[in-house]
Amino acid sequence: MVRQPQSWAPSLFFPLLLAAVYSSQFSKAVNLPDFPYPDISFLDFILPACVIQGVLFGSTNSATDLAGDIENSFMDRLLSSPVSRPSILVARLASAFVYGLFQATILITIFYIFGADLAGGVPSALALMFITSLLSMAVGSFLIAVALRTGSQEVVNSLFPLIFVFIFISSAFFPVELMEGWYGAIAKWNPLTWVIDWTRGLTVEGFSWANFIKAVGIVTAIAVIGVTIAIGQLKKRLAAAS
Amino acid sequence: MTNSYTVKGHSFLVGQAFVGRGLMRMRRLPSLMLPTIVMPIFFVVAFSGSFASVVALEGYGTDKAVNWMTAWAVLQGAAFSGLGGGGLTATDIENGFFDRLRTAPINPSVLLTGLVGYSICRAVIPTTAVLIVSFCFLGAEMPGGGLGFIMVYISAIGMAAFMSFFVLGIVFIFKSIKSLAIAQIVMFSTMFLSVGQAPLEAIEGWLNGVAEVNPISHVIRMCRQGFLGEVTWQQTQPGLIAMLCLIAGTAIWARICYRKVDI
Amino acid sequence: MRNPIEAKELSRTFGDLVAVDGINLSVAKGEVFGFLGPNGAGKSTAVRMLTTLLKPTSGQAWVAGHNVMSSAGAVRKRIGVALQDAAIDPLMTGNELLKLQSVLHGIPKRKARARCGELLETVGLTAAGDRRVGTYSGGMRRRLDLALSLVHEPEVLFLDEPTTGLDPTSRVALWDEVRKLNQEIGTTVFLTTQYLEEADQLAQRIAIIDEGRIVREGSPSVLKNQVGAPTLRVDVWEKDYNAAKATMAHFGEERPARKGRIAIGLNAGTRGITVVLKALEDKSIEVQHVELDEPSLDDVFADATGRRLEGGESA
Repeated sequence: MVRQPQSWAPSLFFPLLLAAVYSSQFSKAVNLPDFPYPDISFLDFILPACVIQGVLFGSTNSATDLAGDIENSFMDRLLSSPVSRPSILVARLASAFVYGLFQATILITIFYIFGADLAGGVPSALALMFITSLLSMAVGSFLIAVALRTGSQEVVNSLFPLIFVFIFISSAFFPVELMEGWYGAIAKWNPLTWVIDWTRGLTVEGFSWANFIKAVGIVTAIAVIGVTIAIGQLKKRLAAAS
Repeated sequence: MTNSYTVKGHSFLVGQAFVGRGLMRMRRLPSLMLPTIVMPIFFVVAFSGSFASVVALEGYGTDKAVNWMTAWAVLQGAAFSGLGGGGLTATDIENGFFDRLRTAPINPSVLLTGLVGYSICRAVIPTTAVLIVSFCFLGAEMPGGGLGFIMVYISAIGMAAFMSFFVLGIVFIFKSIKSLAIAQIVMFSTMFLSVGQAPLEAIEGWLNGVAEVNPISHVIRMCRQGFLGEVTWQQTQPGLIAMLCLIAGTAIWARICYRKVDI
Repeated sequence: MRNPIEAKELSRTFGDLVAVDGINLSVAKGEVFGFLGPNGAGKSTAVRMLTTLLKPTSGQAWVAGHNVMSSAGAVRKRIGVALQDAAIDPLMTGNELLKLQSVLHGIPKRKARARCGELLETVGLTAAGDRRVGTYSGGMRRRLDLALSLVHEPEVLFLDEPTTGLDPTSRVALWDEVRKLNQEIGTTVFLTTQYLEEADQLAQRIAIIDEGRIVREGSPSVLKNQVGAPTLRVDVWEKDYNAAKATMAHFGEERPARKGRIAIGLNAGTRGITVVLKALEDKSIEVQHVELDEPSLDDVFADATGRRLEGGESA
């Protein structure tokens, strides 16, 4: 990882750039009527979204590695060894989680240095780290399913813009209450909006078990669907291999 | 036996050949083109959707976010297209085709102009695509009329030109496709630190100062003026000057960096 | 008037590595000059310097009468280059590449069209001219590469390992092409190769390069003769054996041979063979079988470097 800065540097750089730019460009947006949190800075508002964005950008790595293993048939060698089948999947998911944790910690620390204010203090920060890492794993499981299905790094990488689309058409950078028409409707039903809103509740209003459980619940639901699909694809690949 | 052919307008023909080759590759490898069209379209949809209400703040001068964001998306698309000439060159350097070009008796300036010409031609496509989406589906308005559209195309072409010169310089230094990532980061940063998404009046803190002196801000204002009202010389002049200076500066930069790849 | 290719103490270092170490070259007009050496001997580096693609660290070179450093443009106008990794855009067709090359060299449109068609025919790619290069076989690519380097009728043609990776048939076809060019148009050809046979077959004069230095230079036959006299082996009827042996002893020192066969090192070189046969005939000795074994270029290489070129390479 240390030797390949191009694989993780952008996923730290872009969230920080966006956070820096948006917090000064839209600093007055909190004064708009209907803005849900009129008393906070715009940086505090987008903080959870920027952390999530950074972590999701990084979530492709684990799936890309897996696709790479399939491409250069390292996977075949692994399957012919007595490595237990589920551990192949578990290792990838765990790596996505740990990687997310690592990124979230760095991003939160940087935001803290630049004056972000976490209303809930340490519990909120820990909750944010946990939720984003779990989300990284959940989204990672979908990408891993794609990697297992196609075995192509190129295909996995081409899904990257899709993540960007999901983040943008959500409450990540602006409250959905202030969006209009069909765009606002899509954003409202984007599951990422729910995750972000509840997480934002934790960082802006202070730690609350209700918000935490709701956020973890929805992310877990996403993860369960993703992991189920991934297991299905792994079984298919195993069946094809034997 | 020496055949030193002298054709009238050799430089022009060489430039034309480079543009033609680039466009032909794009036709045959659509995956090259897709991101440069899809990304700016997504930008205009997402920015005007997400920040629909932000135009109510002071300084935007319009009541529709799409009027504000179309120019921003067009110029982002143009900047992306600016990567085109650099991308083609990086590929050529990596697979050795560039050596073939170098063994031909052509002037480096002509080669650079040809590559930038290709980027410029590319830029016209996403610009048109964004305008179509903005006006047909998002309800954009152009009180500035025809002149406003001309301003959009002029700024997009200028943006593609100097971004392309800049990227070519980076590619000549690093001689690899990977270096395009570096170029992209610099490109994006300079674009975001401008009045691209918000007017100076709305920007607070350090970014206000940076956006004010960022020459790209002038180009963006020139591009955007027709969406907000009449096209005026007051808004056009600083944009044109900034654009020409950026083109001249990056052209010199690219020419200097070219020494890294040729004797 | 300078020779088409001249180099004086031409050197190139990459960091600590001395890739080319002060080579001197002089290739005459109309000559096919072979640059023979193993992988990594500095052949490509030398070619890249001579074709203005790489700056020499020290020394000078003139190609087609112009200095490669100070008048690179003039050199480029007069040379054709086919580089080792046939660098061809796989998305373009053969025709398009030829057209691009014509434009780069400033050939008028009408003339270019005729010339491209002609060249495609010469290298046998007329039918494939409108296909993308990506679909070409290795041999077709090399042939297209050759055509591309000839578009502007260069005075000097550089071929960097033109047949590496080609099957024997394609190799021979390319050799014929190069020979034809040299004989019919008089193009000076500078070719690098790691194949002994290629140097032997094509080049009128060769230089053997090893670790950046030229270790031998001359025509293949002269070089081979320098290594030692060729071996002449003769079979005669048993009754004539002793008489034949005595006769042949005048022409060279006896060499080991299997039973019933006479072998000598032919002092007069290859040409001496007729004299020996004449002498045998004069003595009414009937010759049943004759074999002449020349030292190979590999022997020359071994003599110069203490290593063998063949064997390391599956040529």
